[in-house]
Amino acid sequence: MMSTKDPVVFEVEWNACIKCGACVAVCPQEAGFTSSFDTIAVNKACDIACMFCQTVCPVNAITHQTLFSTEAAVF
Amino acid sequence: MPNSSSIGTMTVFDIVVIGSGPAGTTTARYAAEKGLSVLMVDKKQELGAPIQCSGAVSFNALDNAGVFPSPEFIQEAIYGFAIYNGQGQKKVIDYRKIKPGEYGSEAGAKPLGFVVDRRRFDRYLATQAERAGVTIWLKTEALGYRVLDDGSCEVALKKFNDTITVKAKVVVGADGVQSQVGKWAGIKTHIKLSELASCLQFVVDGVQTEGLLEIVTGHEWAPGGYAWVFPKGHGYAEIGLGVTRTMCTDNAQVYLDKFLKQSFFKERFKNCRILEIQGGGVPLAAPLKIQHADNLILVGDAARHVNSITGGGIHTALSSGKIAGNFLAALLLSGEPCTKENLKGYHNNWLNAMGNNMWKLYEVKRKIFDTADIAQRDEQLYATMSNYFSVDSEYKKI
Ligand SMILES: Cc1cc2nc3c(=O)[nH]c(=O)nc-3n(C[C@H](O)[C@H](O)[C@H](O)COP(=O)(O)OP(=O)(O)OC[C@H]3O[C@@H](n4cnc5c(N)ncnc54)[C@H](O)[C@@H]3O)c2cc1C
Ligand code: SF4
Repeated sequence: MMSTKDPVVFEVEWNACIKCGACVAVCPQEAGFTSSFDTIAVNKACDIACMFCQTVCPVNAITHQTLFSTEAAVF
Repeated sequence: MPNSSSIGTMTVFDIVVIGSGPAGTTTARYAAEKGLSVLMVDKKQELGAPIQCSGAVSFNALDNAGVFPSPEFIQEAIYGFAIYNGQGQKKVIDYRKIKPGEYGSEAGAKPLGFVVDRRRFDRYLATQAERAGVTIWLKTEALGYRVLDDGSCEVALKKFNDTITVKAKVVVGADGVQSQVGKWAGIKTHIKLSELASCLQFVVDGVQTEGLLEIVTGHEWAPGGYAWVFPKGHGYAEIGLGVTRTMCTDNAQVYLDKFLKQSFFKERFKNCRILEIQGGGVPLAAPLKIQHADNLILVGDAARHVNSITGGGIHTALSSGKIAGNFLAALLLSGEPCTKENLKGYHNNWLNAMGNNMWKLYEVKRKIFDTADIAQRDEQLYATMSNYFSVDSEYKKI
């Protein structure tokens, strides 16, 4: 999938997450874009930035930061 | 009892099943019963947990898959349905009244179905598989697979903190809605945002139920899905809903809150106390057009074997598991290799037994949700749900 959007880094608020896997189910990334907690990856930049994971989350556990604006925080 | 063998230090099985939900356990059990050596892995430490399911399953579904309806996992018996439209008008389909003597709680009569505790249900299914000879490794995550030149494959596993590789003739991806196994073989398994119902439910105390599965349709309460009230045993109930996110502005949590506080059930729910929170994604999607690759097949939610009208996936996982287990046993015992070409037979068997009907259900669902006019769409969903659960339903066999 091509995207012209800036890459983003997701953050999952662990206590809000009910570990339902919906975010992973809608993710169009390659295999392995998952964290060890059955959620979307939080330690890699996502260059698709479709936001499906954030939208589908039933409990608003996912937020994101645009990579270029948060470079200092990411690296 | 069939056992694994070893070549050098590598453990060898006929089949490695990834995932121990209803699809994986059933596939593993049927294959092991025919004499194959089967390893089933799950990354969980506790089967069925955390719960991502309401647990409604029919008596027939269990019966067809050789699962005895045991008190070990049954939370409450179900005798019928109540389908509501958005305004609270209802159609009750109570089999105790429609077929008295056949369905009921009295001696000689049987329930129509059950609400099961998925923690105990999945453990029961795993025990059945284990007793048929399946080797089960928990705390074991499957990381990838590789096709080998000799026609078999190897699967990389992380068992507790050890990375190990086992050899197998075929891998079964029964890894549920967030399936990664298909992706290993290049199968596109991610589900469109417009086809995944985002679900949230509460297990509650203080809400009366009557042995019926209650289904509330209507865009106002659950756009692109429905809300439910299910009996949960011991006086508890489940209140939940699933929404299609492309059809609504808020998330499931906001809609569930609204359903509890503002719907025509608000008086009934007034004193409810929330005891547990569960959720998940339900693929209201077309089954995968490709469910197999060299040395690999997908079963259950991983292949989107879900009834796209009801969102039910236990029955279909059990049935697909039986088809997959029997097919793999026959193929492997014939000595034929597990090539993509040979594994197409699994897909064909599945299509004939249930897949073609699942495709029809998907088309019905799509037509309803593609209807732009909300009032019309609501009317269609209410009519289809009522029809689906009625005694003379044309969908009965699906
Ligand atoms: C809120 C909600 C309510 C529902 N209610 C109902 C209902 O009332 N009735 C009904 O029939 N259906 C219901 N469903 C659907 C039903 O839960 C699923 O269709 C069913 O569980 C699918 O079974 P499965 O065996 O395919 O997958 P699952 O039961 O999801 O099992 C998959 C297993 O694979 C394991 N796994 C995944 N990846 C790996 C890996 N890499 N390595 C090792 N293990 C792995 C997971 O840990 C998991 O145990 C509901 C779903 C939701 C979300
Ligand atoms: S969709 Fe939300 S609640 Fe579900 S696993 Fe992902 S982050 Fe957690």
